Amino acid sequence: MSELLQIGSHNQRPNPPKPDEVEMKFSAIGVSELEILKCQYPEIKACILPALWIAQREYGGTLSGNAIAEVAIRLNRSYAEIEGVATFYSMYNTHHAVGKHKIEVCTCLTCYVEGSYRIWDYLKSKLGVGHGKTTSDGMFTLEEVECLDACDRAPVLQVGDQYIGPVSESDIDHLLEKLRATKESTAVQMADAIVKVHLRNGGR
Amino acid sequence: MAEHKLLLEHTDDPMFRTLAGYKAKGGYKGLERALKMERQAVIDEVKASGLRGRGGAGFPTWIKWNGIVKDKVGPHYLICNADEGEPGTFKDKELMENTPFLLIEGMTIAAHAVQADAGYVYIRGEFIDSAIAIRNAIDEAYDAGLLGKDSLGKGTNFDLYVHMGAGSYECGEESALMSSLMGERGMPRLKFPHVPLPTVRGVWDKPTIINNVETYACAPYILDKGGEAYAKFGASTKNSRGTKIFSVSGHVNKPANYEIEFGTSLAELLELAGGMKGGALKACVPGGSSVPMINAEDTMKAILGYEEMSDVKSMVGSGGCMFLNEHTCIVTFIWRTAKFYANESCGKCTPCREGTKWLLNTLDRIVAGGGKAGDVELMLDICSQIDGRSFCGLGDAAAWPVQGAIRVFREEFDYYIEHGRSIVQSEASKFMLPGEMLTVAK
Repeated sequence: MSELLQIGSHNQRPNPPKPDEVEMKFSAIGVSELEILKCQYPEIKACILPALWIAQREYGGTLSGNAIAEVAIRLNRSYAEIEGVATFYSMYNTHHAVGKHKIEVCTCLTCYVEGSYRIWDYLKSKLGVGHGKTTSDGMFTLEEVECLDACDRAPVLQVGDQYIGPVSESDIDHLLEKLRATKESTAVQMADAIVKVHLRNGGR
Repeated sequence: MAEHKLLLEHTDDPMFRTLAGYKAKGGYKGLERALKMERQAVIDEVKASGLRGRGGAGFPTWIKWNGIVKDKVGPHYLICNADEGEPGTFKDKELMENTPFLLIEGMTIAAHAVQADAGYVYIRGEFIDSAIAIRNAIDEAYDAGLLGKDSLGKGTNFDLYVHMGAGSYECGEESALMSSLMGERGMPRLKFPHVPLPTVRGVWDKPTIINNVETYACAPYILDKGGEAYAKFGASTKNSRGTKIFSVSGHVNKPANYEIEFGTSLAELLELAGGMKGGALKACVPGGSSVPMINAEDTMKAILGYEEMSDVKSMVGSGGCMFLNEHTCIVTFIWRTAKFYANESCGKCTPCREGTKWLLNTLDRIVAGGGKAGDVELMLDICSQIDGRSFCGLGDAAAWPVQGAIRVFREEFDYYIEHGRSIVQSEASKFMLPGEMLTVAK
């Protein structure tokens, strides 16, 4: 398959840990959030998606084999089931460790006609990595994504919970500089924001 | 020619996102009236309004609501489909961010009509701003007793939860959305008549109502002002009533959401959006990427209505209206459309999983300059084997834009295949393709 065919496909599965070697890493907050979530659905199985969001935050933005195993144990489901669900969705980072900031460039229709591939090519050459790859310093992961549904702001890209658009090449320089100076990982911030919207008053 | 803002009237007012501001502008009057009415009377009011599903299919809303079992035995669920993913559409995003209480009031009205115990707003994972706006509004409504215990009258509770998706276009399909809500891979399920309708056996095998954000957002107006008042809008059309939000994007001067009455012409919509930019109109994709594109001539005579759009062999769809100027290469545009569907096909059924990949393979070759005589027929053949044969609508939606573009712009495909390059040679079109493809497709 050409690189162009690979948006959203996960050709590498996470490595499952041995059953007796699973480390339980959820923080106390993460555990209590999961307990609240369990009361919001008639079945525990429905907690899989939000639980994976908690795991993605607790594991620094990446769902490793251990993260998936921990979710499986906490929800009393099989590893295979959780992995199957996690690998279906493109926003769960199961296939590789992501950098501190994940830059998602929309190249779908409206962005496409507004020249998003110019932005994409520029970012690729600027960071020296292609689709789904992370820079060697672990700072940025670059991804080409399908429609972000902000076509009025085309060409648009997403970093963490922020939409940025319309962007030009000079905006990109500015953005990368700003992100390099950002202390927190926007990938973790995004997962945290998503977990919080599930909970009344953010779980407080 | 004007906008008719029933839903988008107060989008610029930040106070409208708070309960106090919403009530000051007449909010929650619809629910107040609905709670005094019999459940069937609420459904009849929606019937009188002629409201049809705004997610794309245009199914009459009252039939769904009326289909739910009247003698309640177990719990009933209400789902809001806020997994907006159709390329070109961004109306639900704006509704959730700027008018969250319209959705919540609308869902509460629906909950009363169908005796729902709990509701879930399924929001696509990327829409964090929308989700935060909805979350804050839900929290406020709970604090004011408008959700939760006794919210639908003494002894009748209605709880509303937010559930986030995680990146899948397929989850906008209602049965796939229910799979996803239940914690599974977002794949579609067997549908009526092979299994009972969701109103009989939906999520968790319980009676379920599932509607789009915009559909629910219409309910407060209908219940406040009455179904007949709503049905006055769009009276010039055959069977489309009320207003519809169109997300206008592409080569226009003012891309944004415009709420217009059904029966307005597509040309007027273009004018509202500030007209074309960068060149004359060449083509229009009127209802999101899934609908067939139409040429400039048809764009100028098209009337926006569910039935009226079939006169120009297209559809209203979800209302994601993309205008393309004369410097747009249709072949590469369709290549990008095909790539979208190939990436988003969930892989459940063979016609869609294989067909979308073959369409993309063929278009990859054509765009790279390696097109062969007979490729157009090959694509039409692939399309005919997906269309109507896939498990859910995604397959059809992948075939229609290709079929539509070939019907309207056949000569562009033939030229590209024969010469190995686009018929459109302009500065703008040069930068449309990614770098590695530019080197081959000169």
